[in-house]
Amino acid sequence: MPLPQAIETQDDQRRATMSPWSGQQMQRTPFLLLLLVALAQGVTPSPKACVTLPSPGGSTVSCFSPARFPAPLPADTVHLAVEFSTLTQLPASALRGATGLRELHLASNRLRELPATLLLPVPRLEVLDLTHNSLTQLPPGLFRASAALRVLVLKANRLEALQASWLLGLKGLEHLDLSSNSLQTLPPGLLASLGALRTLDLGDNQLETLPPDLLRGPRRLERLHLEENRLQVLGERLLAQQPALRYLFLGDNRLTTVAAGAFHNLKELDMLDLSNNLLSSVPRGLWESLGMPSRDMGDGFDISGNPWVCDQNLDDLLRWLVANKHRMFSQNDTRCAGPDALRGRMLLEVSGSP
Amino acid sequence: MGDAEAGKKIFTQKCAQCHTVEKGGKHKTGPNLWGLFGRKTGQAPGFLYTDANKNKGVVWGEDTLMEYLENPKKYIPGTKMVFAGLKKKSERKDLIQYLKQATSS
Repeated sequence: MPLPQAIETQDDQRRATMSPWSGQQMQRTPFLLLLLVALAQGVTPSPKACVTLPSPGGSTVSCFSPARFPAPLPADTVHLAVEFSTLTQLPASALRGATGLRELHLASNRLRELPATLLLPVPRLEVLDLTHNSLTQLPPGLFRASAALRVLVLKANRLEALQASWLLGLKGLEHLDLSSNSLQTLPPGLLASLGALRTLDLGDNQLETLPPDLLRGPRRLERLHLEENRLQVLGERLLAQQPALRYLFLGDNRLTTVAAGAFHNLKELDMLDLSNNLLSSVPRGLWESLGMPSRDMGDGFDISGNPWVCDQNLDDLLRWLVANKHRMFSQNDTRCAGPDALRGRMLLEVSGSP
Repeated sequence: MGDAEAGKKIFTQKCAQCHTVEKGGKHKTGPNLWGLFGRKTGQAPGFLYTDANKNKGVVWGEDTLMEYLENPKKYIPGTKMVFAGLKKKSERKDLIQYLKQATSS
């Protein structure tokens, strides 16, 4: 299908692609009158809510603060954005007819629920962004036709609990973002069906513990975000499921204890963030697989903001720091809280490394 | 003035999954960012941007990036960048300081 000619100006764009759902008012009311009214109210007139533009492979439909969900959608829609609206729900037929849809951006609405059949008409969907809505749950079977979905973002919703069954069908999912919700616990087997998962973001929730089999399922998880939760203990089993892990974020938790074998066999780890926890000590042997002399941690590590007690129990860590200081973030903020004689001193200084 | 070292950590944590910064770095889900400062939106050679991004028409610098990175979807409605933004001003400052150094010689 030949692409329409390049459109020069915004006005040309609007005229060329006036969409059927543009507000009736905009077409009937003389523009000047509307402008005067808007100015009298001290409000700038809002641009037409939905714009349709040609793009490679089909049409892009982009709605900013629409009053309602656009309908009907062009049959060749590949990219649809409906954002910054007050919509609280979507009709089950919302995506019917847009069979080639690849990306669906629904961020910053007020969606409270999703119809169970919403995604059945769009089996080629690759990206679904639901950032900043009011979802408390997902309907069973939502993703049963979504084997092509690669990216699912549920950041900043109102999820308090999850059910593994909600994620059935996501065989191709690579990126799952559940950050900034109100999750307190996770069910066993949450990721069991997510063999292709590469990135899991659970940051900024209220997680106190994690099921030890949490990471079972993905064949090769690369990034794990657990920052800004309430974790107290990092056990031995959690990370054993994913020896190829490359990025691990555990900052801003309440960790007091890390098991000696917690990082055992993480031979690909390039970044480790343990900053801003409650660690006063860590067991010897913890760092065996990490960093030099075995392998350089390419993207660095951060252990700042912990109340380290710089006694003999810390000698293993201090030795490790000397060998890896070139990869150490926040050196100035990595200090001893005790013993008294060393309070306030930088760990690097105490380790004998200038 | 932002802390570039802190910014580098933020970049790895929040941006590196989709972007590279070095000269000749590959495009991933998002464009390589070499040469960002002083360039108009949507101009990294070889990357397929949305029209929304190409048409935004601002020049990337400290001020425009401060606004953009707080809420990318508000700044460029219709963008395909899936990133909610950095609410903390200090984090944006640090990140921008890092980007300034890392995306130019």
